[in-house]
Order: sequence, then structure tokens, then C-alpha cells
Amino acid sequence: MRSFLLKRLGLGVLVLLGVITVTFFITRVIPSDPAAKWVGPRATPQQIEVARVELGLDQPLYVQFGKYVVDLSQGDFGKSLRSHQPVAEELKSYLPATIELVVLSTMIAVFLGIPLGVLSAKRKDQMVDHFSRIFSVGAVSLPTFWVGLFLQLLFYRYLGLLPLGDQLSMDIKLLYEIPNITGFLLFDSLITGNFVILQDVLIHMILPGITIALYPLGLVARMTRSALLEILNEDYISAARSYGLPERLVLWKYALKNSLGPTVTVVTLSIGYTLVNTFLIEAIFSWPGIGSYISSAVISLDYPAIMGVTIFSAVAYVILNLVADIIIAFDPRVRT
Amino acid sequence: MNKNKTRIIVLIIFAIFALTVITGCGGGNKADSGAQKAKIAYYAFNSEPVLDWDPSVEFSNGIVVMNNIYEPLLRFDPMENKVTPVLAEEYTKSEDGLTWVFKLRKGVKFHDGTEMKADAVKFSIERTKELNQGAAYIWDAVQEINIKDDYTVEFKLSYPAPLDLIASCGYAAFIMSPKVAEQPEDWFSQGNEAGTGPYKLQSTKMGEEVVLTKFDAYWQGWEGNHFDKVIIKKVPETSSRRQLVEKGEADVTIELPYEDVEALKNNANVQIMDAPSFQNLFFCFNTEKEPLNNKLVRQALSYAFPYEDVVKYAMGSYATQAKGPIPYGHWGHGENLFQYKYDLNKAKELLAQAGLPNGGFKLLLTYMSGDEAEKKAAELYKAELAKLNIDLEVRGMPWDSQWEMAKSKDPKNRQDILGMYWWVDYASPYSWLYSLFHSEEEVLFNLNYYKNDKFDQLIDDANAKSGIDRAAAEKMYIDAQQMLIEDVPSVFAYDKQYVWVFNKQFKGLKSNAAYPNTIFFYDTYRE
Amino acid sequence: MSLAIGKALKPRIKEMRFSLYLLNRNRLTRLSLLIVLALIVIALVAPLIVPYPQHISVETNPQDKLLAPSAQYFFGTDELGRDIFSRVLYGTRISLQTALLAVGLALLIGIPLGAIAGYFGGFVDELIMRVTDVFLSFPPLLLAITIAAFMGPSLQNAMLAIALSWWPWYTRLIRGQAVSIRERQFVKAARAIGTPPFKIVFQHIVPNCISPVIVQASMDIGGVILTIASLSFLGLGAQPPTPDWGLMVSTSRNYFLNAWWYSIFPGLAIFVTVLVFNLLGDGLREIMDPKTRKL
Repeated sequence: MRSFLLKRLGLGVLVLLGVITVTFFITRVIPSDPAAKWVGPRATPQQIEVARVELGLDQPLYVQFGKYVVDLSQGDFGKSLRSHQPVAEELKSYLPATIELVVLSTMIAVFLGIPLGVLSAKRKDQMVDHFSRIFSVGAVSLPTFWVGLFLQLLFYRYLGLLPLGDQLSMDIKLLYEIPNITGFLLFDSLITGNFVILQDVLIHMILPGITIALYPLGLVARMTRSALLEILNEDYISAARSYGLPERLVLWKYALKNSLGPTVTVVTLSIGYTLVNTFLIEAIFSWPGIGSYISSAVISLDYPAIMGVTIFSAVAYVILNLVADIIIAFDPRVRT
Repeated sequence: MNKNKTRIIVLIIFAIFALTVITGCGGGNKADSGAQKAKIAYYAFNSEPVLDWDPSVEFSNGIVVMNNIYEPLLRFDPMENKVTPVLAEEYTKSEDGLTWVFKLRKGVKFHDGTEMKADAVKFSIERTKELNQGAAYIWDAVQEINIKDDYTVEFKLSYPAPLDLIASCGYAAFIMSPKVAEQPEDWFSQGNEAGTGPYKLQSTKMGEEVVLTKFDAYWQGWEGNHFDKVIIKKVPETSSRRQLVEKGEADVTIELPYEDVEALKNNANVQIMDAPSFQNLFFCFNTEKEPLNNKLVRQALSYAFPYEDVVKYAMGSYATQAKGPIPYGHWGHGENLFQYKYDLNKAKELLAQAGLPNGGFKLLLTYMSGDEAEKKAAELYKAELAKLNIDLEVRGMPWDSQWEMAKSKDPKNRQDILGMYWWVDYASPYSWLYSLFHSEEEVLFNLNYYKNDKFDQLIDDANAKSGIDRAAAEKMYIDAQQMLIEDVPSVFAYDKQYVWVFNKQFKGLKSNAAYPNTIFFYDTYRE
Repeated sequence: MSLAIGKALKPRIKEMRFSLYLLNRNRLTRLSLLIVLALIVIALVAPLIVPYPQHISVETNPQDKLLAPSAQYFFGTDELGRDIFSRVLYGTRISLQTALLAVGLALLIGIPLGAIAGYFGGFVDELIMRVTDVFLSFPPLLLAITIAAFMGPSLQNAMLAIALSWWPWYTRLIRGQAVSIRERQFVKAARAIGTPPFKIVFQHIVPNCISPVIVQASMDIGGVILTIASLSFLGLGAQPPTPDWGLMVSTSRNYFLNAWWYSIFPGLAIFVTVLVFNLLGDGLREIMDPKTRKL
């Protein structure tokens, strides 16, 4: 077990280094001049030269890379070329909104997706199964960004039920003290008992939440179904059934538990998808998270910002995968 | 078992969420908002309200915020062609235009409590010059700044530049407290300020929003109806900006698609005001590359540009076809200059004269991605050029990539046509004519690569004149533009108009083209 | 072609027939197959059948801008008065073409690398597989976004970006196959008579482990179409006036509150196309999977 963990950790570190290297070198083929961007519009050549030296862009590539890795290991992502603020700071201020969205939609996906998958496996080839399969395939086939626009049209433009975007109504923002303890608005308003704000945030979260929950929902339902089907064919399930154990118990307790491995994997994968999907839809919903941040960074080619988000997301994803592997490895049934 | 417990917890959380959403939906537990809201103005801005908090450096969107926190010595009103005093009460200049003396207003306090005196002016402008970032170049002519007494400052210039216009620039002309010198280097970027303006910075969320609150000791006082607080927030999605004004949440916004403006005209709560801007669109020709190095081809392409359609469909008629490079309303604008008209027959004739009667060549046009109007203009242009059998490839690029391409060493690697807006820094035709058309050692903003010694000479002379005799300078600038019209280094597409969309109760909004997108919130109020 | 390959192919053909039979049996899969075929036909003949072929590339018609769907314009018009129906139909060609090219390119990178890794093993294997690990540890789509952002926006670059982020999947798949084939008799024989290793890789290994990869690749088409659309939506793909679905949805953001049809139809086209490809892929997977492969 320990050697497994060590090996997995070692590999994780290696992969992280790889991720940083790949990202760094992708960003160096840019056909633009970061120094000019740093100075701002209407930069004069002298100003650009000064900035080039200031930013260390006159150094050979391997020196820049070394410096980047060293800075990174101290949590320094460099400074945004547009705002001249440390990217790490900016990430910190944009992250909570995204994390709340990701957590909410992953919860929706897991708590609706698993039962759907189970139901579908239980009644394989029946109406329910057909419906749930079409639904789950449909969910992973939907262009997320389009769903966002569609829901906005329906619920804002035509039904007038929900707000178009943003995290909080301006009225609420002006009239109430906005709690800021952890930076997570939902969490902070919950623990301070500020239910007006909580409610407002939740209402604002409905549309973006549904929009990005769809993809992982389909993914989870689909994976649960196929993992369960595989296990339901196993001998011990037949044995359990022949002992006369109630079908509910067989399904939910024995079979589902044994499909834990694939389910954990797929949830991890779906978090990855959800995270990147926020890049597509946060801008549509004016949601103040890293998705909006990276969309504006992409448009203006703010490369430290793009690198920051890329590396952050990749690192988060690697760690998630690592955790998933460890969870699975600790499950005695998986250990061989 | 463990699992049951987690299940229960999750259920409870869901139940709480569901309850708050359901019960709250109709709930009227909001405090009386009217009284408080009346004193707060909300400006839904299309981009980051501030990029750099340093008043010496910020040279972008920040003009919108900075002009409410800081003040310059003077302010310029282009429509009346008049300079109004702000921190300076009056100024005099010597006959040769090389010495300018400003008398400062007495009793002006910085937000940190220090009184604004001559040392602050000297400190501010020297600091800006020293940092030499952003728009610091506007002060190039200034050689030395002398403190005559507490309320008198003297500027010595190396050539007679129009210092009154420079001192009223919306960028880099702000006067800040001399105490800034004692602060650490990153003091501004921490979200601090040291201005004299009507509003103080209350809070800011990086790149997202700025909240300003009134400065009690403001020199103009707070008699009458004013806003106590101002919120300027980035709302990049046009649909959201429209929603905010439509629902009355935001007081004012800009840069809505013209389709939305049309739709909002029927809304009883919304008012729409258009005003001239000092921002105009150019399609710069690559004059160093075949076939656009031929003046006849450039003239032909100028005749092929669908000016009327672009104004009508790309700008929803909130623009006018440009007459030369200096926008309407700006001094130096040539109202009688020749204007190319859309005329494909003329274009064909000129192409034939140039030896290309059947077109048959390809051109690459780049524009700044994300700009709907430029995109539409480019597409409309493409359709017209296709009728001349010219294949125009249209490519939207981030500004930096586009600019980098335009600065390629070999002209062959540069785009053939580049779409670009130019806008005012300080109100002088020299800004347009020098930046865009004066020959350059190293490519910077003359992305037409236009070289004409006579033209260079003429505008340089005009600039030197503009500090002494503005009328004479204006005439020279118009003569210079005549050369450009003949040589057509660029399509002069249109002068943009600002379209302010705001709540009917929001009063006192005055558009000043010299300060793009800026609202002087002190002058506004809610009815 | 060597005898060994022919021999290996024969049972496979039989198996394929069986698969086709299964494919035909499942109604949903059959329907999606039919729609996929229809889409391919549309893609091929699009310029001939659309009502306004001139609205696909160059011509604009601004006096008819943003008209609602009608008998004249089935899906309405866009901001420059072009027929959205024609553009959506033509978009099929662009989507399918780009997706095929991107997958093809990914295969072109992925297959040789995987075969080499699997056949040679040892250090080469370790190196190639660790590199694929790195590429696979980016969240899906993120790498494509980053690459496309830095290469500059164009359809070709979006395609390249997708290929560059997609190949490791195929490398993994091929490698697994190659490892098992490496020890097969005909490979050993080829080695014994002194065939140079690279020749073995490309003449014996690759042809014999390619079919599951091809199946996988065809299942991926839907996902790739979605990715291309996402890149275009972010402004990292096709350029105007290309009638690309993602680009159309992206542009429509500025108008959709007044013109619902502008967003809805191109998005619907993406959805339907991706859906039928995924349903087909799902059906294929079911058929190919020995565990669920039952009569």
C-alpha cells in the first residue's frame, strides 16, 4: 500500500512538472509582444524596451523557464499583463465563485445521475432505460454554451422568472452588508445566517448551475449504468438473488458499492469537464469566476493569466485524480 | 452506517436550499430601498473599469473612474472649444509659447487632508514624466517646472506645445498628493488613491467593480442634489447590460448593440442620447506591399468601401462617414475636405488605370476580435470587393497579435488592411496625424507605413504653432489632411457616436468627447 | 501485403458482419446511423441544395437583417441579412470536415507513437507513455483552449489544437494492442528473418491493431464536433463570414434577446449532429463490448 501511494505520488509530481513545461512552452510561441502589452496601448519603443528588461523577457528561454518554475513553487504565477496585479491574487478572488458553481453542479450530477443510472440498469431495455439513455447521451451532446443562451431566453426573456446573470442583485448588494469570511459567498451567507443574500445567490445560481450540471449528469448516469450492468452479471449477485435477498438490497448495497471504482473515476472526470465548461458559460452569465477571467484573458492574450488558469486547473485535476486513485486503492475490494 | 449519515446531511442541505429559494421568491423582506438608492449611481461599463490604479500610468478604461477621483489643472470642452479651469484658476503664456504660468485654486484638499499647492503640481507631473508609462509622452515638451509661490507654477517648454490642452488631458494629467512619494511602490496597486476629486475610492474588486463614495471636503461642496456613492461595474455581456438598464437596476450604460438600442427606444423608463465622440475607425492600407503600394489601387479600394451601409448596418446610423482623419467636432476637422463615395464604377476605372482591370488578387484584412461593428464593416467590405473580383480574407485577432503582425520586419508578412480605432488623448489633431501618418524609424502606430516628408514637415510645424496661434495651426492641419485624401494611406471609415443609454430619472449627464465614456458623476443626480 | 495480415483479417470480416447485424437490430442505433448518413450527404451536396448559396461566403443582404423565420427564410436571417437556414445547412460540411481532419491528424500522431511504444517497450515506452500521461492530465478541452489561444484564431488552428490534445488517447489504445501483438507468431517470424524494427511496426503491428482505434475514433467524432464548436464559441476557431455553427452561436450572443432564432438553430444543429454521432458510438460500443454482446 505504501509503495503504491509513493509511486502514485511520485508520478503525480512528474506529471505536474510535465504540465508546467507543456504550458510554458505553448505560451512561448505567441505571436505577440508581452512587453508591449505590459506598457499598455500606445506604448513607445523605449517604454517597451524597459518593460522587456523588467519582465525578464530579454533572458534566454531556459532562464525564463527556470525562473517561472521557481516562482511557481512559491505560489507566484507572475503578474497579469493587463492589470499588473499578481495572477495568484486575481485567481484567489475569482476562484470561490467558480468552485461554488462546480460543487453545486457536481452535486446535482451525482445525486441525480447515480439513481438514474441504477434505474436504467435495473430496467435494462425497458422504456425507462431507453429514456434515460437518450437523456444521458443527449446531455453529453448538448453544447453547454448554447444551453446557457437557451435557458436565458426561456427563463429571462420569455418567462421573466429568473435573472439573466451575475451572482447577486445590485439592490441586495447595496442594501445589505455582504459577508466576506472565506470569500465563498454561498457559504459565508449561510454561516452568518444571512438568508436574503443566500436566497439571492441561489436564485442566480439556478441557470448556470443547471447548464453545467447537464454534461456530468449524463456522464455519471451513463457510467453508473454500464458499471452496474457489468456487475449484475457477476456470480455473487446471482447468488445473492438466489438467496432471496430483496432486489433493492442487492442493487443498492451489493452491486452499487462494487461499482464504486468506476463511479469515483467518472465523478473526477466530470469535475474536470465542469471546471472547463465554466470557461464557456461564466461569461454568458456574467458569473464572476475564473471562467470569466480566462475568457477576457484569452481575448487580450494576457499570457500569465492564461497560464495561471491552465496550470491551476491542471494541477487541481491531477490532484483530484490522485485522490480518486487513493480512494479506490483503499477500497479493499479493489486491492488485488 | 457512514453512508446513511452523509445521505441525511446532503438531504438537509438540499432542503435548506430549496426552502430558501421557495420561501424567498415572493418574500417582501427588502428594506425600503428608495431612499438609499436615490443617492447611489450605478454605471454598467462594458469592460474592466480600471486597469492600473496609478494615475500617472493608467491609459485605458480607467479614464472613466480616475476623472471622478482625480482632477487635472484644466478641462477641455470641445463643443465650445473652450478650456475651463479646474485646479488652476487661470493661466498665462508668453508670446513665444514657451513659458506658461498657472495660478492654482486655493483651499483645495486632497483626500488625505493635505492642501493642494504648487509643490503637488510639480511633484505629480514630474512623477508622471519620470515613470514614463502610459500617456506620459504628452508632457514631452515640458523642460522644467518651477514653483513661483505656493499657488503659482511655471512650465518651461522646449517648443510651443499647446500646454492648455495637454494639462486638460483625460490621462496622465492628474494632480496627486505629494505624500504619494512616502508610500511604498505598490501603494496604488493595493487600491489606494490620493486625488482631489469629488469621490474617494471606497472599495474595488479587481477587474470587476469600483465603488466610489463622496469626499466630504470636496472644494466645490455638496450643496444641491448629488450622488453619495457611485458604482462602476464591468458587465461585458451586452444582453446583461441591456437587462440592467431595462429593469432600472443600472442608471446608465454604453456600447449596446444598435438592435438593442432600437428595442429600448420604446421603453418609457429609458432614455437614449447620442453624442459625437473623438473616436474613429480606419482601415489602414499596407502601402509597402503589392498591390496596395499603388495609389490608384488604394483610391479604387476607397471607392469600393460601402460607407453608407457600414454607417447604417454596422453602426445603426450612430456614426457619420468620416471626412479625413480628424473626427467631427474636433478642432482641425476639415468640414470641406473631399469625401470618397461608394462608387464601384469609379473603382473599376481606377483599377483598370492601375493595370488590374479584372481584380484577381487576394487581400488579408485583420480587425480586433470581439468588436461587432468592425466585424460587420469588414464583412460588408468583403462583399463589395468580391464584386470587383478581389478576394478579401477577414480575420479577427486579439489587438496584440494584430499589432505584432503589422510590425513584422518584412512588409510581405504584414496584413494588407488593418482595422483600427483611434481616439483622443489630449485634444490636438497632432495626436491623430502624427501617430497614424508621420513616418517612423520603427513601426509603431503608422500602420499604413505612410512616408511623406512634406506631410511630416507640415504637421510638425503646425504642432509647434498650435501653442501660439491655433487658427493658423488648424489651417495647416487641414492642408496636411488634403495630402492624405489624395494619397489614401487608409480608408477613413466613420466617426463614431457615443450612445448613452440611461434611466429617465438619471439627470445631468453630459457627454464630453475629449473624455471617452466618462461620466462626471458630481454633475449628475437622480430626480 | 503479407499473408499473415490476410489471415488475421478473415475472422475479423465475419465478426464485422455480425456487428452490422447487431447494429441494425437496435432501433435507436439504426436511426442514428441513418441520420449520420443523411448528414454526410448534406455535407457533400450542401452548396447545391441551400436556397441562398450566395449567403454562405461573401454576399451580405443587410436590408433584411434579423428577420424572424418565414417562408422566405426558414430559420430567419442574421445581423447582415443572410439566410440562417442556408448557413446552418452548409455548416454541416464545415463541422464534419474539420472533425474528420482533426481526428485523422490525431490518429496520425497517436498511432505511430503508440505502436512504437508498445513494440519497443523499455525506455522508449516509458518516455512516450509518460508524455501521454502529461497530456491526459489536463482537464478535457483545457489544453485545446490554451493551444488555440496562443496559435491565433482560425479554423485550421482550432483543428490542430484539437489534434494536439487528442492524440494521447489513441496512443494509449494502440499501445495496449501492440503489447499483445508483439508476442504473436507472425511478428516473431518477421523478427527472426531480420525485418528491420520500424518495418515491423508499420507493416505488422499497426495494421493489426488499428481496427479498435478506428472504431474509437469514429465514436469520438461527436465529441470533436462539440469541441470545435466550443473553440469557435470562445472566438478561437472559424472566422467570419464562415458559416460555422459555433461562431454563429457566438455572434448571436449580441442579438439573441431580439432574435431567438439566431442562437437556437445553429445550436440545435450542433446538438443533433453530436447526438446522433454519440448515439451511434454508444450503440457501437455496446456491440463491440464482449460483456454486453449478446444475441
